[in-house]
Amino acid sequence: MPPLIEAHDLSKHYGSTIALDAVNFEVHEGVTGLLGPNGAGKSTAIKLFLGLIRPTSGSAEVLGKRPYDSVESRSRLGYMPETETVPSNMNASEFLMHMAQLSGLPPAHARTRAADILRHVGLDEERYRLIGEYSTGMKQRVKLAQSLVHDPVLVLLDEPTAGLDPGGREEMLELIRRTAHSFGISMLLSTHLMGDIERTADRVILLENGRVSEEGALSEFTQETEDLLIEVDDREGVARALSGRGVRVIEEPQQLVVQNATDADYDAIRDAVADVGARLRRLTPRRHTLTEMFRRREE
Amino acid sequence: MTEAQGEVFDLGYQHYDGPREGRSRARRAIFENGVRTVLGLGRGPRAKILPTALFIAAMIPALVLVIIASLAEPLASFLPGPADYYQVVFMILLLFSAIMAPELLCADRRDNVIHLYLVRPLTPTDYVVGRYLAFFAIVLAIVYSGQLVLQVGLVLSADNPLTYLRDSWSTILRILAAGVVIAAFIAVIPLAVAAFTTRRAYAAAFVIGLFLTSTAAAAALTAPDFVCEEIEVDGRIVHTECRPSGEGALTGEAAKWFTLIALGEIPLRVNDLIFDRENDSEIARAAADLPDALLVGWYLLFTAGPGALLWWRYQRIRI
Repeated sequence: MPPLIEAHDLSKHYGSTIALDAVNFEVHEGVTGLLGPNGAGKSTAIKLFLGLIRPTSGSAEVLGKRPYDSVESRSRLGYMPETETVPSNMNASEFLMHMAQLSGLPPAHARTRAADILRHVGLDEERYRLIGEYSTGMKQRVKLAQSLVHDPVLVLLDEPTAGLDPGGREEMLELIRRTAHSFGISMLLSTHLMGDIERTADRVILLENGRVSEEGALSEFTQETEDLLIEVDDREGVARALSGRGVRVIEEPQQLVVQNATDADYDAIRDAVADVGARLRRLTPRRHTLTEMFRRREE
Repeated sequence: MTEAQGEVFDLGYQHYDGPREGRSRARRAIFENGVRTVLGLGRGPRAKILPTALFIAAMIPALVLVIIASLAEPLASFLPGPADYYQVVFMILLLFSAIMAPELLCADRRDNVIHLYLVRPLTPTDYVVGRYLAFFAIVLAIVYSGQLVLQVGLVLSADNPLTYLRDSWSTILRILAAGVVIAAFIAVIPLAVAAFTTRRAYAAAFVIGLFLTSTAAAAALTAPDFVCEEIEVDGRIVHTECRPSGEGALTGEAAKWFTLIALGEIPLRVNDLIFDRENDSEIARAAADLPDALLVGWYLLFTAGPGALLWWRYQRIRI
């Protein structure tokens, strides 16, 4: 399967400001996280892939075509912008139908697709209400729906959880994950939030100062450690029992951590849980987080 | 006991394998959505009130003329006809355009929906042309509807409708041509103004103000002063006769050039040329010496100019 996006020595300069500096990377099927702080070049990369701007040098290919040469290549591309971009005086059904037609679908097909996608994002019941009356989370779902309504091969998401409260963020990330893994629609998720990437992405491209500083599968960045995570209902009791067996245990808010666990520690944990009569919910090797990776890079 | 008659399956997500019509469908969607937006279709009842009221207002002059012509036939020759109709309804058309045209552009930029348009298989030029054509089509439908009502009324009230129709076929061609001239002009200026603001009210107020002040300024600058003389017979004043003094705010050659600044008069002068009509308004009389080609050129400049401004503005929209 050829890459969905290919960036070859891709550069974009705005006067003396270098937004992207000869970057090379590929985006394949699945969810790819484009991670980086503000000003790293993420938005510039997205604009280049959408064909809204031309590169200063190098080239970008999206779905096998140069997007800035022809607008037709956008027919199979979806885009969910960071800013609020929904009309306040239309209902969601009418809006999605219009967006589907703008992507080239005939009216009858556009109507069916609009209904299907609104059901998938959980707005089926609210489809005839004016979007101006929606909550922030519902508007965000309309934004995601318009990016999917024409059944794109690839969707570019720009800070999809911006402005959402914790509950809304969870729902949006779950929706993105489900869309990608159940619907088979590939996604490039641009964000500065590592948690969003960890929750959804298969691969990560780390942009810093217009350059790719790290790239690879998410699992490479979040490899298993020697530490063991233990989730039990009686955390204090199990911690005491483990200490009594000579196992050094760290109590964290939701879990216990045994650092550099050996085979003997596994036996001790089994026995401690049995002695206390606690319910063992989870016993798993701890993984590195992207946050730790960034912390290590800064050190 | 009855057996289950059917089962419900969750088919999950279905990929789309129907037709994809690309950019041509996107262009049509912009046009159709533009028409629906102006007419308030697919929106709440409040969105339909203003276009309906303005449409009715544009029809009333034609209906009144037809009713008078049919009830008082001797008056028919004194009533405004097809050649005068666009001048009669021009102010209503201006109000309609000034108020409704900004809705086509302002809302898309105010709500940032333009960002979603321009990442689809559509160029800024496609967007602007689609929106302009949508509004042009609506204005054209309104001006033609009024003329249609007027023509139907005149045909039915004529002694011999068939003879009337046969004799007035050239008038019908002129009606069609003049309608395009009026609609093209009156659709483009409000859209060009709306391209520079996200507030519909600002755009509407600016357009109305622009037309009124330019016409008032032209009238003030070109209106002649009159000298009046009282005519006495047997020591009694029986008549007062007034005539232009040849002097005014501007006189002679200068006056006719200043008639060009009246924005609202620009398409009406071309309408007069199409119908070969003598206009007795003060501005029209002052402009009578201007060459026909200049009036047409001036019209084209003030139609293509705002159109180019509108196009230029949307080439510079950044996402």
